[in-house]
Amino acid sequence: MTPALLADRVGKRYGHVWGLRDCTFSVPAGSVVGMVGPNGAGKTTLLALTVGLLAPTEGRIAVFGETSRAHTAATLARVSYLAQEHPLYRGFSVADMLRFGRSMNPRWDHALARRRMDELGIPLGRRIKALSGGQQAQVALTLALAKRAPLLALDEPVASLDPIARLEFMRDVMAVCAETGLTVVIASHVVSELERLCDWLLVLTGGRLQLAGSVDDLLGTHQVLTVPRQTLDAELPGHVISRTDSDRHSTVLVAAGPAEMAGGQRPNWQAEPVGFEQLVLGYLQRPPLRMHGSYGSPAVMS
Amino acid sequence: MIWVTWRQHRVQALICFAVLCAVAIYAIGAGIWMRHAFSADGIPLCLARSGGAGCPAAITSFADRFNQGVAVISDVPLLIVPGLLGIVVGATLLGQELERGTWRLAWSQTVPRNRWLVTKLGLVTGGLLAFGVAVTMIMTWYHQPLDQVTARLRPVPGTAEGLTFTASLLCAFGLAVLAGLLLRNTIGAMVTAYVAWEIPTTVVTLLGGPIRFPPPVTVRLPCHAGCPGASVSSVPPVTGHLGDYVLGVARSGGQLVVTYQPASRFWLVQLIGGGIYLSTAVTALGVALWLLHRRTT
Repeated sequence: MTPALLADRVGKRYGHVWGLRDCTFSVPAGSVVGMVGPNGAGKTTLLALTVGLLAPTEGRIAVFGETSRAHTAATLARVSYLAQEHPLYRGFSVADMLRFGRSMNPRWDHALARRRMDELGIPLGRRIKALSGGQQAQVALTLALAKRAPLLALDEPVASLDPIARLEFMRDVMAVCAETGLTVVIASHVVSELERLCDWLLVLTGGRLQLAGSVDDLLGTHQVLTVPRQTLDAELPGHVISRTDSDRHSTVLVAAGPAEMAGGQRPNWQAEPVGFEQLVLGYLQRPPLRMHGSYGSPAVMS
Repeated sequence: MIWVTWRQHRVQALICFAVLCAVAIYAIGAGIWMRHAFSADGIPLCLARSGGAGCPAAITSFADRFNQGVAVISDVPLLIVPGLLGIVVGATLLGQELERGTWRLAWSQTVPRNRWLVTKLGLVTGGLLAFGVAVTMIMTWYHQPLDQVTARLRPVPGTAEGLTFTASLLCAFGLAVLAGLLLRNTIGAMVTAYVAWEIPTTVVTLLGGPIRFPPPVTVRLPCHAGCPGASVSSVPPVTGHLGDYVLGVARSGGQLVVTYQPASRFWLVQLIGGGIYLSTAVTALGVALWLLHRRTT
């Protein structure tokens, strides 16, 4: 089956610095992909390459088998994009905003857009600047949905919203996903928002892809071990992803399947299955490898 | 796209329409009054060379009276108006999208960025062109009686006849579009573009005044009944040909040395001034399109 989103050694250089480098993954259709990373990790760059707002410096990105080419109608039609801060024309009324969508998109679903505004209780006559932040985010999401593209890309969709609006917005995205079977990519640095939503995970730090895979597979191939502090990394099964030392014990996240675990277990070690948030944090804290020429810093999660 | 362009620029379109109405009200009112005076003073008879001895005085008095009226509307406001309007329209086109981040919205719809820009530039330029031509036509109609007796060749750009007004408007627009793209800020783009627009405006003004290009014609006329000196009335000009724009009269060895731009050079002067403005506009818009296209890859 054609992957919904495929990246093949894709890289983007801004002047002399690489915003994204050597990024390879493949996401099946119908997935809800969580893209996690600190600010400056390359999330927005990867989304812009997917949408067709940027052209890659090397490698390629394909959406449903077709290579994304920057600023071509064919690429733009395949991806709906909700940019960070959900930009809208502040002086427009909601009705104007919907008409904007209709006149800029041949596959525009006006009935869907009207119905959503109705259900959300957003008056069509109101100016965008008079709406609350949550309502503005909903109008922006509606524009993206009514474009009727098979891939929906959301860049930090809830970053500027209050907790209640976040909850409502994410619930809405989930309902749409379940209803339409869209493939969705959500970039966020708020890990807890993604846990309930996504079944696919991409972790980026410093312009590099650290982890890519289905959430179930990743949870099955990672373990959290509690071991005596003096235990060396080399003694542990699989690969050590991150390690936290306390007085007497160390908590280690290892990438190791059940077979490796069965072979490498010691009596005084305690193994536990890893949680979603723990897994993501482990990779985000991983000392960055091969950082040369890449951009961004492994900043602490906000 | 057509609707989107209209929706984003409709306030500016209304401002242009209001300016056009103001110009029309003034020009039509004053134009009708001028035409009355034109007939009442017997100028048509004078021009048909069937007038009496009072003709030079009548023409002089008519021209002096209305040249002031023309100066009020055409010299000052119509010199600045195209610059201001062009800049307001141009600076928002890219500058505001980039400043407010709405470019991410505009360029991620199904219309590719290049087509988006070309369509918007085409429609807005068309609108400005229509506005400029309308103002020029109204002002030309208004000037018409005066143009028959006095120089139509007032120093460019202090005139709304010919190409200058429209070309100046488009020049300011083009510079503001480019400034908006480079500065990503509406107000900054307006200020920068206004300063930049002053450069071609100054060049065109200098060509009409101190530099005098194309070089004026000089004739030496014999003095009959004593040379009147440098304060010769320019209406009708000492060259004897109505419409010649006299730049200077000097006395030299019993002769009058008259420097003037012949009336026949009207379109040449307009083409030079308009050409400077239009080539600036085309260059600025071309650079903007190229820069935006280059960022694609």
